[in-house]
Amino acid sequence: MMRKSKGRDGRRRGRKGSKTVVNLVLGIICLLWLIPTLGLFVSSFRPATEILKTGWWTVLPHREYVAKEQLQLPKDTDLRQPIEVNGTTYTDDQLREGVKTDEGTELIWENRRARTIDVRELGWRMSTEFTLDNYAGVLTGKEYDIPKPDGTVSKEKGSNLNQAFLNTLTVAIPSTIIPILIATFAAYAFAWMKFPLRKTLFVIVIMLLVVPLQVALIPILKDYTSLGLNGTFLGVWIAHAGFGLPLATYFMYSYISQLPKDLFESAFMDGASNFTIFTKLILPLAVPSIASISIFQFLWVWNDYLVSLVFIGSQPDVQVLSMRIANLVGSRGNDWHLLTASAFVSMLMPLAVFFGLQRYFVRGLLGGSVKG
Amino acid sequence: MEIRRFVSIATTHYHDEGLSRLLKNKGWTIGTALLLVFVLLLSACGGNNNNGNQASSSPSPSAESASPSASPSASPEASPSEEPSSSPIAGGSALDEAYAGKYKGTKVTMFGPFVDVDQKKFEDAIKEFEEKTGIDIQYEGSKEFEATISIRVDGGNAPDIADFPQPGLLANFAKSGKVIDVGTFMDKNKLAANYNQSWLDMATMAGPSGDIMAGIWNRSSVKSLVWYPKKAFEEAGYTIPKTWEELLALTEQIAKDGDPAWAIGIESGAATGWPATDWIEDIMLRTTTPENYDKWVKGELPFTDDIVKNAVRKMAEIWLNDDYVYGGKKSIVTTAFGDAPKVMFDNPPKAWLHRQASFITSFFPTTLKSGEDYDWFYLPPIDPAYGNPVLVAGDIYAMFNDRPEVRAVMEFFTTGESIKTWIQSGGVIAPMNDAKAEWYTSDVERRMAELAQSATTLRFDGSDLMPGAVGAGTFWKGMTDYISGTVDLDGAMQEIQAGWPK
Repeated sequence: MMRKSKGRDGRRRGRKGSKTVVNLVLGIICLLWLIPTLGLFVSSFRPATEILKTGWWTVLPHREYVAKEQLQLPKDTDLRQPIEVNGTTYTDDQLREGVKTDEGTELIWENRRARTIDVRELGWRMSTEFTLDNYAGVLTGKEYDIPKPDGTVSKEKGSNLNQAFLNTLTVAIPSTIIPILIATFAAYAFAWMKFPLRKTLFVIVIMLLVVPLQVALIPILKDYTSLGLNGTFLGVWIAHAGFGLPLATYFMYSYISQLPKDLFESAFMDGASNFTIFTKLILPLAVPSIASISIFQFLWVWNDYLVSLVFIGSQPDVQVLSMRIANLVGSRGNDWHLLTASAFVSMLMPLAVFFGLQRYFVRGLLGGSVKG
Repeated sequence: MEIRRFVSIATTHYHDEGLSRLLKNKGWTIGTALLLVFVLLLSACGGNNNNGNQASSSPSPSAESASPSASPSASPEASPSEEPSSSPIAGGSALDEAYAGKYKGTKVTMFGPFVDVDQKKFEDAIKEFEEKTGIDIQYEGSKEFEATISIRVDGGNAPDIADFPQPGLLANFAKSGKVIDVGTFMDKNKLAANYNQSWLDMATMAGPSGDIMAGIWNRSSVKSLVWYPKKAFEEAGYTIPKTWEELLALTEQIAKDGDPAWAIGIESGAATGWPATDWIEDIMLRTTTPENYDKWVKGELPFTDDIVKNAVRKMAEIWLNDDYVYGGKKSIVTTAFGDAPKVMFDNPPKAWLHRQASFITSFFPTTLKSGEDYDWFYLPPIDPAYGNPVLVAGDIYAMFNDRPEVRAVMEFFTTGESIKTWIQSGGVIAPMNDAKAEWYTSDVERRMAELAQSATTLRFDGSDLMPGAVGAGTFWKGMTDYISGTVDLDGAMQEIQAGWPK
């Protein structure tokens, strides 16, 4: 890297001037990416009825027409004829959409049936109706009203997210550790050990990167059925480990294979076994790489829906968060407003992991892509 | 920090030691590996097919072996332990034996699409049965039922009982022989006494060798309902229309009074357009014979036929008139079906009529009282020649594993008793005749049950019976395109018809 760029110092200085432009563009892109999340965040604090009426951006101060007074038209006004209001005639369509008058006010139907018209003026407004109900519904469980035969209504509490949160952790942590442990062993072997068919095996692992996991779902499910692994955590750990291995192996390989050869030669000369080299040299050196692939794998498992759907199912004692949230909206999607809050609850863990391991992340992104 | 510096030095010196070293040497390695992966993939797919065939063929022998024996409760595994007293006729059914405590401690797994509060109501309804018999019914609900059930059945992990809201999907499994024919052990006379014949006909599907009874109906919902805000409706002096002309006159009257009459929304994510298909089905039943309706559902009467076009035109008279629809026709496609009726309960109502199935009340504001704040009337007939047809939907329970305790549970589900408390807490209509009218705690729902029982023609939601490519594909899409104005009537009908498998 350093050698290559030596002759380009001049161009580099020219680039520095454009750095602000690049940063500006990046800033705008970041903002664009963040806006939907921000909207979701604001919506998670708004009552469902408000979400239906106005957009989340109305929580910001903005100018809007506000009703100042009301006009009463004669009750027998024919709506399909031109309508006279204060000496001017308007059509019904105009009054439905709102029509500007000469005084800068706006006329709009308040109630067509009662023939009342609102006179509205521009004014500063912001929507201030916020609620914690969405979060309460998600965190402590929804309340169901179940009418009983004797006419009373019993309030029953639905299950909350706690169990699903724990289940997801139970799934995600081993599903991250197992494949990465195996992948690191394998990467070391592929990179530095001599054994027959090494190249062929490695290329097969690489090729498996392009095989979509969906292809394997039904065959694996059949095997699991005969082994009795369906609906168990062990089953889903193995599934996630298998699906995550090719990428993890390749990722770790590209890092471990580039460690200096001299290091191993001197270690061998001192009589170290492969296992000693692995535990004493490779593991400490590969920490940044392991951390970044861990982030990838953890996020993938945490957000996974398909693999859990197929191999775990939705029995409450094993159900994971993504499935629990999908079920929160009810059989017909009638509680859609809970999705905003639950999305943020489920985001907490990935965010914590990301910020915890963030300093490794940028380097991790480059893993396997930068050569020399 | 030290590690980092070390690594950066290392990388500058030892670039490309690894992968390329491996790959450069011999070209054949890649070729071999590609071949290997390809073979692997092929064998995975091939194995899948083989297993699929095995799985599909395995239930049929068991079904065959069960049917000649004619003993309603004898499953191969259970027969040795069976007491000689179990009579071969209806009396000694699996259900009776279950109540006698014979299957204590057994488990029956169930899989279905309803979750949340419905799951709670279901579990309440089966609690008594579980306590009496000692059979543990383990229900699992998933929002992705339609996709998951196929994976589970193909993967050999089928639940004992599955709840299908779309009989069209069940028909696929029946055809491939994966469903147990419940007709082999259920008492036909009992069924005939407890169900309207239409229900039994709808449960009969084509099996791998002849027709089988693929399942039993447990819950139903009535679709030909027009909801209205009762209090305001009466205060405004409107009357309930008995004929289609009166309905149109009422619509016009409300428009004159200053409001659009109808609240209509068909947005439903990937399923956008389905409420429109319900309208068409309802109007089809009112403008043509039930035989034509059946032909249409089977694909024998094309969408491009004048009969279907006529039904769409009838709907368009209301839908495409900006004076009749809240928000105008342009808002129909963008309004969520669940949000559409909410404007009826503003004060004063912004719209007055909403045609939707019985489940829509779960979207109504919870503060409203059924029967006081809102109520429904029957969507009136158009041509008196076709009587009072009613469009229904429902959930059919199918059986994938044949064990005596599963048979007992299936028989239990044919009784009104199995959904008694669910009926009492509201939300379902029983298709069985032995469900008593006094179980319905609200008049609103009792009248729905009566409507279904007194119907001259009872037909199931057509789009749920059509193949998925049409009923859950082009039919939705074509209606949406037509209403949004991107295609004309002929174009829309051709688009829908193109979805039928050739």
